[in-house]
Amino acid sequence: MLKEAGFADVEWVAETGFNSSPVTKGVLFRARKSAISDVERVEMEPKDPLSKYQEFFNEVYAEGAIDRKMKHLIALGASLAAGCDP
Amino acid sequence: MKTKFNSDETKRIREGINEKYKRVAISPEGNFNYPTGRAGLEGQEYDSEVLRALPKDVLASYCGVGNPFSLGPINKDEAVLDIGCGTGVDTLVAAIMVGSEGQVTGIDLIPEMLKRARTNLEKTSLQNVTFQEGSAEQLPFPNGTFDVVISNGVFNLIPDKAKALREVFRVLKPSGRFLLADQILMGETPADTESMVKNWAG
Repeated sequence: MLKEAGFADVEWVAETGFNSSPVTKGVLFRARKSAISDVERVEMEPKDPLSKYQEFFNEVYAEGAIDRKMKHLIALGASLAAGCDP
Repeated sequence: MKTKFNSDETKRIREGINEKYKRVAISPEGNFNYPTGRAGLEGQEYDSEVLRALPKDVLASYCGVGNPFSLGPINKDEAVLDIGCGTGVDTLVAAIMVGSEGQVTGIDLIPEMLKRARTNLEKTSLQNVTFQEGSAEQLPFPNGTFDVVISNGVFNLIPDKAKALREVFRVLKPSGRFLLADQILMGETPADTESMVKNWAG
């Protein structure tokens, strides 16, 4: 029931030994709300699948040990060699 | 387990709870099958230093079923909500833990309990505690108000538990903790609604 309410970490920790009737038990539960709310999580997610590809593309062509222009030239060379339409 | 009751059943459950806990507000002694008052607090290993800071007759009004503070620390400056605070012993314990910059709110449905809670508060010098009437099924607080929600022996009495748990989730801040001590039914749930309603408050 705690998970259904949205809690991320739910633990039945222990019995307390204080039972109010022969058929009930005193128990301790701990639950935590996740650090990011559902609304924030949705907001952080890319709005459409193409933007995910764009993220990947930007990451690949980011300036690094090889600069951006050289990366594009390598990609052009590779696509010509493979017979692709660049 | 049945969690939806019609309005007449809910009303009768409320009346049963009111009747029992009006008595408990005066004194918990003889109303429970486990130790209450100071013996209950010591049996649940509450921090002895914190207990020393509270007057004897405040401690005598304790009727919790466990120690929610054993589930993790309550830190200085935090905002804490105690659902079904009763006579307010856990609320006052939390208020000592959060210190003067923290804030603790206790809510309860039963006016007699709140009256006793306020009397208990007056016997301390704590300035960071508020008691107010309210239902766990409809918490009177905005989203993300509290760092910690505690509750002790109360959720078993709530007719719509799923709704109350969604409310706890709503009023907690991100990363907020819910520390719960309660009674759970180990045997079969009574098959007929009538006996459930009649024996709700036990």
